[in-house]
Amino acid sequence: MGVVLDGLVLGLQLALLSVGIVFVYGLGGVLNLAHGQVAVLGGLATALMLQARQHPVLSGVVGVLAAGLAALLLDRSLLQAAYRRRGEERLLLALILTLGASFALDGLFTLRFPNVALSLRLTNPSVEVLGVTVRTASLAVGALSLATFGLLLAFLKGTRLGKAVRCIIQNEAGALLCGVDVEQARTVTLFASGALAGVAALGQGFFSYLGPDMGPEFTILSLIVAVVGGVRSLAGTFLASLLLGVVNAALSYWVGTYLTWIALLAVAVATLLVRPEGLLAYWP
Amino acid sequence: MLEVRDLWAGYGDMAVVRGVNLQVRKGEATAVLGPNGAGKTTLFRAVVGLVRPVRGSVRFEGQSLEGRRAHEVVRQGIAYVAAERELFPQLTVLENLELGAYARPDGFRERLQAVFDLFPRLAERRWQRAGTLSGGEQQMLAIARALMGQPRLLLLDEPSTGLAPRLVAELYRRLDVLRQQGVTILLAEQQVGAALALCARAYVLKDGRVVFEGFSGELRGSSHLHAAYLGGV
Amino acid sequence: MSPSVRKALPVLAAAAVLSAVPAVLGGSPYQMRIATLMLVLASYAVAFNVLFGHTNQLFLCVGALASLGGYGSVLLVRDLHVFPLAAVGVAAVLSAGVGGFLSYVSVRRGFGVLFVGIVTLAVSLMLHNLLLGLREVTNGETGIVTRGLGVGLAEDPYRAYYTLLAVLVASLWAYRWLFSSPHGVALHALSEDEVSAELSGIDVTRYKVACATASSGLVGLVGALYADLNGFISPSVYTVGHVDIPVLIALLLGGMRTLLGPLVGAVLFSAVDELVRPFGQLTVLAYGVLLVVLFLVFRQGAVPLVQGALSHRLRPAFRPAGLAGGASRAEVGGGGPEAGR
Repeated sequence: MGVVLDGLVLGLQLALLSVGIVFVYGLGGVLNLAHGQVAVLGGLATALMLQARQHPVLSGVVGVLAAGLAALLLDRSLLQAAYRRRGEERLLLALILTLGASFALDGLFTLRFPNVALSLRLTNPSVEVLGVTVRTASLAVGALSLATFGLLLAFLKGTRLGKAVRCIIQNEAGALLCGVDVEQARTVTLFASGALAGVAALGQGFFSYLGPDMGPEFTILSLIVAVVGGVRSLAGTFLASLLLGVVNAALSYWVGTYLTWIALLAVAVATLLVRPEGLLAYWP
Repeated sequence: MLEVRDLWAGYGDMAVVRGVNLQVRKGEATAVLGPNGAGKTTLFRAVVGLVRPVRGSVRFEGQSLEGRRAHEVVRQGIAYVAAERELFPQLTVLENLELGAYARPDGFRERLQAVFDLFPRLAERRWQRAGTLSGGEQQMLAIARALMGQPRLLLLDEPSTGLAPRLVAELYRRLDVLRQQGVTILLAEQQVGAALALCARAYVLKDGRVVFEGFSGELRGSSHLHAAYLGGV
Repeated sequence: MSPSVRKALPVLAAAAVLSAVPAVLGGSPYQMRIATLMLVLASYAVAFNVLFGHTNQLFLCVGALASLGGYGSVLLVRDLHVFPLAAVGVAAVLSAGVGGFLSYVSVRRGFGVLFVGIVTLAVSLMLHNLLLGLREVTNGETGIVTRGLGVGLAEDPYRAYYTLLAVLVASLWAYRWLFSSPHGVALHALSEDEVSAELSGIDVTRYKVACATASSGLVGLVGALYADLNGFISPSVYTVGHVDIPVLIALLLGGMRTLLGPLVGAVLFSAVDELVRPFGQLTVLAYGVLLVVLFLVFRQGAVPLVQGALSHRLRPAFRPAGLAGGASRAEVGGGGPEAGR
């Protein structure tokens, strides 16, 4: 029972992490391999703020904004070169550029902040809900994730820009012809993707800890979710995240880390083999 | 209203439009005729900013459109209905129309009513997904969506593509209504008869150049069209 | 000079220069080691050039294939007491088979460059975790000391250097032979446009799978030799960051789709790597920055650049196609009037 709950909360956190990579892919046709590093940047910013004895809430907000700004910067600098190309060439260029950026950021983090880690401790380690003992961290992360998702949904369904984002994913040329500023929508999406990843990093801080070397792990996790869930909808990402979260929690409980990783990657590869066209296939 | 001067445009190393001069007068319908590959689509795409011209100028209501990106041109009052229609297949008819009004959200209800008056079929299908409409209905939706942005100039690229003759006739009746309502139209077409019946003036494009310009009446029965389609000028 | 000799000339020249390197270094073990590792990198890059440069297969599993060669050969010798040379051969074949299989599946499923990248990356990570997890066999992160389990490259730096040199020269020669044969034309067509190639009767699947198999075999062989000359292997020496990224950077530095690009790139990369190595984690940062800068501004690489400059000097009228990017826009306007006449 506890495992399932942990898994669901982990899934929510995965969803926060992955929704960004999925949306950026759907919108810009680029796969951001530096996505995990953006999340880590947010977490480290929060950790540094806390070290400087700032208010926890302020620190968290600064971390989330820092992650958003990092992604925004990536969009305005490196990705501009990719946007100028089309189709497969754009994908490839963005793939290599963001791979380079991910290495640069990884190197920077481990070089400059080798000992900085984000670990958020709550006063009560666990509480009892309906007769079940639950970790407070799980509740906090669950609530944080759900609230963030509520905001995201409200943005996508309720605002003009949100609608524009959804229709660019369906048909970029059509959106342009309706007078949608695609470039602006892309930039906003990149910022949002970074900020959401930053929230996921905070969740990681609640759960256990977040270190400067965790970027690649985050990127790979969000890639797996993206592959399994596809970019058709928010719902796909959400479901895949919850599923993989539970699988992850259950497997690491029973068979250990290495086999868990192998299983998660195998699920991703199998998905690609069985129905590649359904997943990640929004961009022709 | 629209003035194109010595426009050169193309893709990569290949020039598709080679020095086109063209004028569209307010309130009139103007046709651009010519065979496949004559450069009609590229000309339109260059006008709305989907293709960056290499040389030449495009002026709309006296203002230069140079360097404008597509969404800015649309906001300026030019709507482009592409031959591919470029609908949002997963969204409903109504949502597609809402997006058509993205740049001009005010007065949405009135314009929606006007569009539904013009295309009653769309009113019946407003909750249906655009991807499930028939070809003719999709074309109407594409035009309706363009009209939602309240354009002063409507560019139509091969609106008859893939439609049965009966539907083409019906479509052109609606376009005629639009023209009478005062919408300026620039139309690229291969269905010469229908286009000439609607438009007062026509241009014939061949290999990226204008080989004829004048009134539709002069063109009917003249050798220019024949020459453009069958080669030799 | 007969045409076949002229074709082999660059390979022979490279071989001659590289054979003289140990004499120049004067037997310093450290420098010999750097030079040998440079040859390892160059051989990987030759394979990756065929995979990525010529057949559009973004194999992000060069390190993983090398680890199959390395771990395969070492385990065969240690646990099954196979004769070391045979073990190296078997491991290379294993690696070739895996690479060929990955390629076959990818082609069959119609994967684009992105999907191939993701699948091979996933396979790399799975293998990495497998090596870490099978602790009873592989010692996990601790790794295996390979002394006495190979053909004895660790004991003699000269032997290591010349063995790797022989492999590199053989692979360069094979590359040269392949691309001056009729297959070269087919491969060129394939790298330009796969659909057109298929429609002109080229069996794209066969070419891609064959190239992937041969390249993976080379990677496995070199991976096995590396295990031997290094004296020690662990999962971390074969990671994406330690193998695939340097290979990608080296190939970009030297120039894709060229004979000597992989070698020149490996030399340049090793030099840069030596410069940043003393600063520890800075290497990762440097790799990242290099990758970005190279892909943005230096995509054609050193060899085409030098070739372009040379032919420009020799024949002033000739302009290399790669430099025409800026001129093409003007040509749209400028070339038009003549064409329309």
